[in-house]
Amino acid sequence: MEDRLGALGGQALRRTRRAWGRADGWLLLTPYLGGVVLLFLLPAVVSTALIFARYDALAPPVWVGLENVNALRRENLTGTAAGNSLYFLALAVPFRLLGALLLALLLQRRQPGVGFLRAVAYLPTVIPEAAYALIWLWAFNPLYGPVNALLRGVGLPAPSWLADPGTAKLVFVFMSLFQIGEGFVVLLAALQEIPTEYYDTAEVLGAGGTQMLSRITLPLVAPWFLLIACRDIVLSFQYTFTTSYLMTGGDPYYATVFLPLLVYEEAFDRFRFGTGSALMAVVFVLSGTLVGILCVIHRHLSAEHER
Amino acid sequence: MSGESRRAGRPMGTTRRRPALQDTLHRISAWAVAPLFLLPLVWMLSASLRQPGLPPPRGVEWIPNPIAWSNYAEPFRLLPFGTYALNSLLVTASAVALTLATASWAGLGLLLVPPRCRSVLVALSLVLLLIPPPALWLTRFVLFRELGLINNWGALLVPALGGSSPLFVLLFLWTFLRIPAALFEAARLDGAGALTLWSRISLPSARPTLTAVAVLSFLMYWSDFVSPLLYLKSQQLYTLPVGLHQLQQLDRTNWPILLAASVLLSAPAALSFLWAQRHFLQDSRLGGTGEW
Amino acid sequence: MTRTLYRAALGLGTFWLSAGLLLSGCAPAGSPASAPVTGTTPGPGVPSTPARSPIRISFLVFGDPPELRAFQQLVAEFQAREPGIVVELTHVPGPGEYRKRLAADFAAQAPPDVFLLNYRRYADFARRGVLEPLGPYLARSQVLREADFYPQVLAPFRREGTLVGLPQNASSLVVYYNRNLFDSAQIPYPKRNWTWDDFVETARKLTQDPDRDGVAEQYGLGTEVSLQRLAPFLWQNGADLVDDATHPTRLRLETPEAREAIQWFVDLRMDHRVTPGLVEEQAEDSESRFLHGRTAMFLNSRRGVPTYREIRAFTWDVAPLPRRKRNAGILHADGYFMPAAGRHKEAAWKFIEFALADAGQEVLAESGRTVPSLKRVAESSVFLAPTSAPANSRAFLDTLAHARAVPVHPNWADVEELASQELERAYYGQVGVAAAIAGMIERTQEYLSAR
Repeated sequence: MEDRLGALGGQALRRTRRAWGRADGWLLLTPYLGGVVLLFLLPAVVSTALIFARYDALAPPVWVGLENVNALRRENLTGTAAGNSLYFLALAVPFRLLGALLLALLLQRRQPGVGFLRAVAYLPTVIPEAAYALIWLWAFNPLYGPVNALLRGVGLPAPSWLADPGTAKLVFVFMSLFQIGEGFVVLLAALQEIPTEYYDTAEVLGAGGTQMLSRITLPLVAPWFLLIACRDIVLSFQYTFTTSYLMTGGDPYYATVFLPLLVYEEAFDRFRFGTGSALMAVVFVLSGTLVGILCVIHRHLSAEHER
Repeated sequence: MSGESRRAGRPMGTTRRRPALQDTLHRISAWAVAPLFLLPLVWMLSASLRQPGLPPPRGVEWIPNPIAWSNYAEPFRLLPFGTYALNSLLVTASAVALTLATASWAGLGLLLVPPRCRSVLVALSLVLLLIPPPALWLTRFVLFRELGLINNWGALLVPALGGSSPLFVLLFLWTFLRIPAALFEAARLDGAGALTLWSRISLPSARPTLTAVAVLSFLMYWSDFVSPLLYLKSQQLYTLPVGLHQLQQLDRTNWPILLAASVLLSAPAALSFLWAQRHFLQDSRLGGTGEW
Repeated sequence: MTRTLYRAALGLGTFWLSAGLLLSGCAPAGSPASAPVTGTTPGPGVPSTPARSPIRISFLVFGDPPELRAFQQLVAEFQAREPGIVVELTHVPGPGEYRKRLAADFAAQAPPDVFLLNYRRYADFARRGVLEPLGPYLARSQVLREADFYPQVLAPFRREGTLVGLPQNASSLVVYYNRNLFDSAQIPYPKRNWTWDDFVETARKLTQDPDRDGVAEQYGLGTEVSLQRLAPFLWQNGADLVDDATHPTRLRLETPEAREAIQWFVDLRMDHRVTPGLVEEQAEDSESRFLHGRTAMFLNSRRGVPTYREIRAFTWDVAPLPRRKRNAGILHADGYFMPAAGRHKEAAWKFIEFALADAGQEVLAESGRTVPSLKRVAESSVFLAPTSAPANSRAFLDTLAHARAVPVHPNWADVEELASQELERAYYGQVGVAAAIAGMIERTQEYLSAR
């Protein structure tokens, strides 16, 4: 067999093999690509179409052009929800990044018990969101909860937290700061990727700790920072849904109505799939814009790095 | 960048040269992480053991008196929590098994297709990771309805048939890229097909990744609240997170019972993570999770 | 075009599902992927299996576990008589979640075969044409006649001359009170024709704040703050909720009578401090305080009874609402409904017929859950002389005589939600009463004007 193939020429053999490899590759990719089409691409197409339809999921869709978009523009709640979502992003993402970086810097060194500490720092991240929401709902209970008990214990004022439009969103931001395991692990890995020589050289040149941090560590982990920021932005939409759905339902007085909660209510409460789709597009455009901005920054950073 | 330089690590190098005071400070602040991050979990545990109906505590109560273990039986009395737990277990186990298979197939598939296609698909996967899940609920709901998947665990498991998350696929691809190409070549010469390549060569050298993806997908499906909320109708099919939500609707301020149920839901997630944590947290291992 | 897309997705999905199962079945034993793959076959409860016998119908209810047990008993009794029909009971705990759930079921084209729904909520479904009118079924029935029901309870279930649903209960808002707290404060129990002033006075005496920190240890009163709780007080003061009860186009809350009633209601908190503040209510809601013996009176409909019967620490009873210029109560009635697209309508009707006739109504009346909508059961000893609390069940029938219904309007759920939000803001002192009234009228306008 080998002989005969050999006679046909190695080139042809390799080509056949490669073709086979490809076929195998595509075969193995089938479920994944099927999932991509069914779970991502097809919904994206249908949902784009629904933006221009009136559809209550019972009767067939009716094409209405831009009616849904105009309805959203008229509705004050859209602006409130977008504002709330942006407020959350603007506070939560930077603080989460900072927290993850601090954790990574603190826990990167080998010292006794560091494995335990890393596990503990990651632990809140794995708590299921339904349970996690209840923990904080209890912790921030204005009268009986431990947070206000601690505050009163040290003589500080005890706010009403989720009952007060001024502080409600802060609770969501605060509780998100404990679930930063993902960013922490990525930054931990990034820190360990930095070659020791850089620091050795810096030390020879007489650089101090702060300088090393600002000149070596931070620039080198910056791309990872942006990656986590992108992921944070995207996931915060899901995060604000489950937490606000379980904790406040949008109260007090719309202070915690975030965009995904509005999508859910519009579609699954009021049967308005058309405006729901238009709202989803708002979510998508918003997160897309933010991620796009970060990508541009990333490109600038890496361009500088090249130089 | 060589493996050694990374492994030797800056930390060891610099510790020696640091001033003692700074070093101690660093150690202390590192240890301060523990109480801070354990705080919410401790609150959950201690509140879950408080006897319901007692007047509210004055100040923080770390260890309740008396300790009411019976709170943990209450969710089972109020709702079919046993059924929910079993459902959660079945759904999660199936999803993890499927995810490991499909994600590793896809990872290997990406390795085998021509490089040009591979980079396009990797880029596509990265873009998919940037789609906020709520942007897809509504149309997935309509699609699943047309496929007859509403009120059916199928709706929860469909993502697992597609590898669960593009991230898992990429993790497998990155793992397989480290396997020497010669190994694959040799197996091919022996006439090995795709599934043999997968089971004989790829999987054995990807054990840490398998564990990591297993735990990450376990956490993903075990915690999933939105899918059962949207797609399940019959109570016999409900999973634990929805059960917890039901409990909350029954009496939204009965904290001891609610938090006892939260502990029941959290414990398997926490334990499976602790069991596998070295795969995420060991030095110089790149990892990431599919969720918060 | 969307149809074709769906069809394509369906084909792809099926192929891909079977391919996935097949391939994972081929994985060598011992590899981590192979073992539990069998678990991926769709779970139980897939409603598609066309079993010839028995017929399976689904029945959706809401309520606390004790209420659920009442419905379980109802189903069991029916099952004993009709072995050919299997009733699958699905239970959603919260009434707020319930409507969303039902909407989602219709959207999924998988509505329950029988469901309970309040008269304040069904119009939205009826407008979409997804409900099967039950009037013709009632007309054909050998067991039930229209004259058997209280007419004022039947009325709100009629839409454009046809009965869309049939009332399972004829409940109304009453005052639940903790007898032990009245006894220890040496205050007489509420009397039949007590007034608003008596009511406030009683609540004040029962509100106790021994440490004088402004957060009472015991409250005299607890109530949900919402439009439907406010409504009977408006009517008692001679005010109206809307401009036209049958074809409402706006809330009519700016009249002096309405203003006075709203001010009185808000003053329960803002002036008399007899109910918990916003923060306290959020920390522990009033119903929980009542259950734990820390609130003396609680406003609720009949649905609280099964849960309150489990109270061991104190005894309780019910009293009618206090009155002002006239007597008025608010009707709280749930009805049985069927979807127009139901597959087993005859079986579903058999169940509804059983539940509404004497035997079924007696089961639910004994559980405490309902004020029967069938006159002869409501006025029988099953309801009026039960062995467990409340002793004064007659209060519900007394109220029924002058109970009024809120308008039946497709957007009423939205109207209630928005108006209640504004009312709550006034109740907890975030805005003045005048501003709240303006807000209630203005924000609900869009939902009431011709849509």
